[in-house]
Amino acid sequence: MVTEEQQSGGQWVPDFTVDLAPDNPRELVLRNPVIPASGCFGYGIEYSGIVDVQRLGAFVSKGITPAPRSGNPMPRITETPSGMLNAIGLQNPGIRGFIRKYPPIWESWRVPAIVNISAEAVEDYATMARMLDDVPGVAALEVNISCPNISAGGYCFGWDPVMSSEVTRAVREATTLPVIVKLSPGAVDVIEIAQAVEDAGADAVSLINTLVGMSIDTRARKPVLANNTGGLSGPAVKPVAVRMVYQVAQAVRIPVIGMGGISGLADALEFFMAGASAIQVGTAVFSEPGMLIRLIDDLGEWLRANRIASLSDIVGVANPRFHSTTVRHSEIVAEMVGQ
Amino acid sequence: MTELASPTQHPTGWSREFIGEITATEPVMGDSVLVTFTSPPQLAASCRAGQFVELLCRTPQSSDPLLRRPFSVYATNPARQELTILVRPFGRGSAWLVEQPVGAILDVLGPLGNTFTVAPKSKNLLMVAGGVGAAPLLMLANEAVAKGMNVTYLLGAMNAGGLLAPGHLPGEVEYIVATIDGSAGRQGFVTDLVPEYVQWADQVFACGPEPMFRSLRREVLANRFAAKPTVQMSVERTMACGVGACLGCMVETRRGMRTSCVEGPVFEMDELAW
Repeated sequence: MVTEEQQSGGQWVPDFTVDLAPDNPRELVLRNPVIPASGCFGYGIEYSGIVDVQRLGAFVSKGITPAPRSGNPMPRITETPSGMLNAIGLQNPGIRGFIRKYPPIWESWRVPAIVNISAEAVEDYATMARMLDDVPGVAALEVNISCPNISAGGYCFGWDPVMSSEVTRAVREATTLPVIVKLSPGAVDVIEIAQAVEDAGADAVSLINTLVGMSIDTRARKPVLANNTGGLSGPAVKPVAVRMVYQVAQAVRIPVIGMGGISGLADALEFFMAGASAIQVGTAVFSEPGMLIRLIDDLGEWLRANRIASLSDIVGVANPRFHSTTVRHSEIVAEMVGQ
Repeated sequence: MTELASPTQHPTGWSREFIGEITATEPVMGDSVLVTFTSPPQLAASCRAGQFVELLCRTPQSSDPLLRRPFSVYATNPARQELTILVRPFGRGSAWLVEQPVGAILDVLGPLGNTFTVAPKSKNLLMVAGGVGAAPLLMLANEAVAKGMNVTYLLGAMNAGGLLAPGHLPGEVEYIVATIDGSAGRQGFVTDLVPEYVQWADQVFACGPEPMFRSLRREVLANRFAAKPTVQMSVERTMACGVGACLGCMVETRRGMRTSCVEGPVFEMDELAW
């Protein structure tokens, strides 16, 4: 429904706002649903001379770890068909250096800053969450669970529902900040992981992180990246991401933040219709930083042209079992394998 | 899909992502092309030798090749509000770019990166260029000659056809060439020319492939007294964002990893980890 208020003054403004932590008293209300993704927007300041950062819905910082990390050897990136592989290796100043340097800058910003955290032990996630809990300038946490769990022999946290749940619970208990858990597409069953982190207290989930890939330099007869493998991102991963957002949006009640290869309005609409309440833009920021603001404008134009009063009216419209309370895990899986 | 960005202003000034229109193309150095395009006046005026721009080398409807390509600035013309880059077609992006006609629209990010630094006391500057490495040094040679400095410009190529025609350089510059096949100038590598100039030069500036840098370093270390002359090298790395956000283009220095896009592309040779 288009309200009278929206129509007043001739210029009708669609309702863009989205609360990504509706059950959390500290809430995470965004003026629009467009968020640059972790690792692709630095700490926000890198892009301040290029895009109007304050107009964004929010932004996510680079991944922060307990101790400073110098990252992987070079080469760290390589282009692939409609995509890229990266193995940056979480280069960052560590949680202490980070807290000193960036949140004081963000404190005066209008745009909410979401801090992405990574660790290799459950206690370290909790320690970082506790340290960030009352830091001015920090609006929410995004928990990267696509990391090796040292005490589990390096097995990725995000591939195991029990380990994903432990990390989420530890972070939940350490902070009252809104907690977004970023899901790994490498999990055998992403639905199970999503439900486990929801039960453990996540305010929202974001997906997908990159897919593990490899390119080989046939002249040198070895992998292109010094790390051998890297995370695949860009338009090439979009169909996988849309499918996973569609699945997860059926299985959980908390907001889903969709990402993976979004390069413009048409891509973003796919994610909203699959069930995402907000979207993140990653790799496309590298090629077209100005697209972030154009996407906000294009989305407004599209809602206006289609006489849709609120973005929430299209969230999940292509997903008949969106936020279904009765759907069973086995039914979602059965649909996915074509049974 | 979204439209190409039009030049935009925002609270911090002109965006460094802008739309340029190609105003001239000129074949040079065999298969390469000088591409001149329009730019916002402030950006053309502020650009200095050593800086680069990143161009989308595809139509906006396409997603391939995905990433921007970096090109050193060859010349600026603030009066005409234009930038010129030197493009050699050796990959999918640069091959697309050299095919673009006058009037074509380019999505440009820049100017980016640091600049060459000429010390106030320097009088004699040696420039060592390999292939398209000629571009940033040509701009530097123009800046230095305008300030009355002495410039010797060494350029290496496979053959005579791959060299920059002397008319492209200011007349005050001593221009000396080397070719692998001996079809012009000294036969051999450009770095073979370096020893006789090392002690003359107050500073050396270089841009070219990695093997050229290694040879240059060897020749300079073998021929210089103490730490003079110093050498500044414009390095090249595979790059994504161009603004220091992705940390994909790192260069190993004695003081740790540095971004080649913001803290580079120009580094002091003695600061690099060899």
